[in-house]
Amino acid sequence: MSNNKTPEQLNRRKFLKVAGAASAAAGGLGIGLWSVESGKDPMSHTGEESFQGATQYFNRTKFEVDLPPYEKIGPTRRVDARTEVIFSRIGRLRQEWDDENGIDGLSDDLKAYYEKHPHYLKSDLEYFREVLPKWREDRQKYQDKYVLTHAWNNAMGSVWPPGIPDSEPPEIADFPWTAPGQLARKYKMKSPEKTAELIKQMAYQFGSTLVGITKLNPDWVYKHTMRNRGIDVNKPLDVPEHWEYAIVVGTPMSWDPFYANPTYGSSRESYAKTRIAAYRLAAFIKELGYAARPHTPAGDYDLMVVPIAIDAGLAEQGRHGVLVTPEMGSNIRPAVVTTNIPVKTDKPISFGVEDFCRTCKICADQCPTGAISTEDKVEVRGYRRWQIDISKCHNFWYSNLGNVGCRLCLTSCPYSRKSNWLHRGAMKVSANDPTGLSHGILTDLQQRFYPAPDAEKYFIPSMGGSNASYRKPPHWLQVDEYIDFSGGAK
Amino acid sequence: MTIITSGLFWFILGILFCIALVGFKIWMEDRGVKMVWWKWGLTVIWIAFAGFAIAFAGVSIGENEMTAAGMGGLIFGIAVIVSGFIFWRLLHLGKA
Repeated sequence: MSNNKTPEQLNRRKFLKVAGAASAAAGGLGIGLWSVESGKDPMSHTGEESFQGATQYFNRTKFEVDLPPYEKIGPTRRVDARTEVIFSRIGRLRQEWDDENGIDGLSDDLKAYYEKHPHYLKSDLEYFREVLPKWREDRQKYQDKYVLTHAWNNAMGSVWPPGIPDSEPPEIADFPWTAPGQLARKYKMKSPEKTAELIKQMAYQFGSTLVGITKLNPDWVYKHTMRNRGIDVNKPLDVPEHWEYAIVVGTPMSWDPFYANPTYGSSRESYAKTRIAAYRLAAFIKELGYAARPHTPAGDYDLMVVPIAIDAGLAEQGRHGVLVTPEMGSNIRPAVVTTNIPVKTDKPISFGVEDFCRTCKICADQCPTGAISTEDKVEVRGYRRWQIDISKCHNFWYSNLGNVGCRLCLTSCPYSRKSNWLHRGAMKVSANDPTGLSHGILTDLQQRFYPAPDAEKYFIPSMGGSNASYRKPPHWLQVDEYIDFSGGAK
Repeated sequence: MTIITSGLFWFILGILFCIALVGFKIWMEDRGVKMVWWKWGLTVIWIAFAGFAIAFAGVSIGENEMTAAGMGGLIFGIAVIVSGFIFWRLLHLGKA
């Protein structure tokens, strides 16, 4: 019978045989892989998917570097948070300023700071004189539109671990005392590697989305802290010996409101999640008998979190001065736990952000106050890094009607995309491109495919804007869907 | 595990592609076109590109990024049609 077949029919039969066998093999393998993976899939932990660490999916090994991707170029100096951190500086200026005495009426250190940085004095005074009055006026006019996002923001921030008491210095607050003079039992850990594994899994369990560990570089600890927390802000801080390691945790802000910044997003909701995770982690480490101290949002830090997160391999610094992670871009609110538990540290990573940011500049274009420079990096306290004009940035926090802040640079960053195949794929192309050619193409695609309002439209109406947001808010933050304003003016 | 690392996804996709490619081969033979290795290469590249264009528009709609969906769908869609036309002509080279 086979003798009657033509050569073409034989080829077809052969092809079908090979294709059939290959399909059967691939199918069998596929079912096998699928069944094993589905059994251990973190997504099967309904409601606790991120508590399994599944969201820290980026394989950092290939991108690890021995030295962090910032450059030490001169003698370094620690931050004096009393003047260099705006939250401390602006509060003091408000208390001490009077028009009659001007800068001469300020404390010596604040006066010296403003004499060295007169543009910050101009911006900081503008905050009181022009920005706040206009913001208050527009808030009265338009606040009903934002009642849901304000309520959501405040609700998310309503669970907030209390801070470290002013009366407890680090030698007391950071250690696990069972009674005065009596420390808790210190358990001997099997190895630094196993401790790192344990701490990371616990950090996920405590609600952290990302976690990384590094030796604490003393350069990142404030010389004068911004809040008391058991440390006299007016005395230089000697970095305590038990602040040996820094564990960095972080959570994202809710994605849909995040895309509707500056008017609908919230820092506080993520601050609360990160703060809770950090306090839980510190409590866990203390239970094992070691020292631990959380440095958390909002403002309860004795150190700079961004460079520590870079050292811990979680991210690189972006043009906007803050973190760019592989998993969440800039949508992260980090915290640090300093500790003396012996633990294996992570390496910093370099996955192309520095090169990408050099040409992208979308965040600078989107910044309503021009606080983000389009120029190259500058030297800051002995390190070459990108630096923003924090005073201009802070002024815009009160030039929009959203939950306090702005976050537009975080939102508009091309790395801050949801985790689907398209954006993960683009990120991996960018990370693995040594030529940098893809960076320009991806930036161009971002600008064309994901257009944003002109920066001036983000301002409140009394400042010439139209209360614009980067994207529309999710339906659950739109008052028109849920609130009946017919009984009163809207 | 994401959908593209799911074995079930590749299993089903593999079956569908095997059926489609067998049908395509028979169809081309009926038109007097012999499929050689480089023609299979072109075909697979075009299928992947067309799949990307559909998926790009789909994921953008899912993200509520309508500008990206519209522009991407249009640009990639036109590129798929044009490349499909060119590839179609190439497949017919050496037609019996």
